[in-house]
Amino acid sequence: MSETNKKWYSLNLNQSKKSDSCGCGNNEGSCSEEKPKDGFDQIMDVSMSRRSAFKKITAGLVIGAGAVSTACSVVSGDESKEKSGIEWDEYFKGNYKLMTDEDKNNTVDRLTRSYELRTGKKINISSKDAEEDVLFGYAFNISKCQGYMDCVNACVEENNQDRSTEMQYIRIHEMEDGKGFNFEESDDNYYHEVPAEGHFYMGTQCFHCDNPPCVEVCPVQATWKEKDGIVVIDYDWCIGCRYCMAACPYDGRRFNWKTPEVPEQEVNKKQHYLGNRLRKKGVMEKCTFCIQRSREGQNPACVEACPTGSRTFGNLLDPKSNIRWILDNKKVFRLKEDLGTEPKFWYYMD
Amino acid sequence: MTTKLVLKVITIVICLFVVSCKHSDKHKYHTVIDKVEAETVSSSNLTVTSETFNETIKTVKFGEDGYDFLIPERKSQIASYNCTECHTQPIEKLKQDQVGEKAAHWNIKIVHAGIETMNCATCHKANNMDELHSLTNGPIDFNLSYKLCSQCHQQEFKDWKGGAHGKQLGGWAPPRLSNTCVNCHNPHKPAFEKRWPVRFNTTVEQERE
Repeated sequence: MSETNKKWYSLNLNQSKKSDSCGCGNNEGSCSEEKPKDGFDQIMDVSMSRRSAFKKITAGLVIGAGAVSTACSVVSGDESKEKSGIEWDEYFKGNYKLMTDEDKNNTVDRLTRSYELRTGKKINISSKDAEEDVLFGYAFNISKCQGYMDCVNACVEENNQDRSTEMQYIRIHEMEDGKGFNFEESDDNYYHEVPAEGHFYMGTQCFHCDNPPCVEVCPVQATWKEKDGIVVIDYDWCIGCRYCMAACPYDGRRFNWKTPEVPEQEVNKKQHYLGNRLRKKGVMEKCTFCIQRSREGQNPACVEACPTGSRTFGNLLDPKSNIRWILDNKKVFRLKEDLGTEPKFWYYMD
Repeated sequence: MTTKLVLKVITIVICLFVVSCKHSDKHKYHTVIDKVEAETVSSSNLTVTSETFNETIKTVKFGEDGYDFLIPERKSQIASYNCTECHTQPIEKLKQDQVGEKAAHWNIKIVHAGIETMNCATCHKANNMDELHSLTNGPIDFNLSYKLCSQCHQQEFKDWKGGAHGKQLGGWAPPRLSNTCVNCHNPHKPAFEKRWPVRFNTTVEQERE
């Protein structure tokens, strides 16, 4: 049967004529090492058609004109001038992954100053990099969890999640004994005395896969795996296409359908660029193992809040760590192991 | 002729190596366990420590069976330690003196194993209230009360030493500071109590209806 009068739809695998394929099966990225670009270069130094170029220039002008008119205006005050200067620089900054240390410091300074100008309050944003010889892992004891949900509250407070839509990274699933891990029939929004008779509790969140499918599908490389194994998102580079949300087999990612609302007095001022800094409408977010805490040596908020000790967090590369003892001595398993996503989040029971 | 062919093949192979794609880090190991095993370090150069988060907690050392970590100090946390400040006389004598009055520990009710297995004297030393004692009457310091619990709860003790039972305080970075048994479990009533979850998502509930 010829290609043209096919009566069914087929996926056309391995038949597309790809000129840029290099024949090694690795389709991500290009074969030659490219020099990283930053700032203007990342945006300006791309080949595009006349049409799309005009489109981009017009869009940029509309946004830029506002900023420039305030910045150069003689009537507007120093503060609003500074504000539009920051907006201008933030608009044209590059992808965090490609930033030099200096670029990182600059954008962190701009974000801190911008918050101060808006609210008069000071925040502390860190851009601390991964420690050497550290790979984070997490273990969850399903026979100890009682379903109290203290972890969920601690996570919301720590990570400045939107209060109005009740966004939460952690879900605690109440599962019936004898039915296995049946997520379809389990309830993650129960309200009765816990632990309920004949039930057990299982927490899920982002598992920080070592082979993360969400990273693979991001069309703009706004999400990636850091050296210490944490999968992070650059909220300023994310375009909100939600491909990653669809690609995640664990329901680990959340989308900001509206501008997140966090009461000013409840904002956690200790922040990280890749972690709990305030998000905006239309970007993805998820658990970062509390990167603002874990990079400092501290436990994530959920681990600290758990009254039952079901949650263990640690360095997989340290042979003396608790997490390593659990992996070596307990019978551990992970969810959907057959997918090959290699989550760094293990479950075990007593 | 053959040497030329071999040479050609070798050159082609070398060329392929040079030209072919660079495999990124994620293809280096088949599984994350392979990665962990290959990259494990015996001495790491961490710049972070848990000490900063645990400054306010008074600790004592645990060092048994090759495990080495800290546990919170207990004696200073007990409201009326030393016990002998009140327990100047044997219990029987105190009981006689206090007939009709409310006894000091009136609110303690043992809900721990059965009365056939345990009573006050299973753990507390009648002739020296400042100390606990083992099943064979050996003295046990209040700071090291895990020695008492581990007499029966051996699997829990094993898991606790390793880090699978109990809770690490402060941070994941060394030095390790873990809660001891009585920091989470009330020794007189060790089971966790039923209670209501601290959160209920009302909007989620509405959306699902």
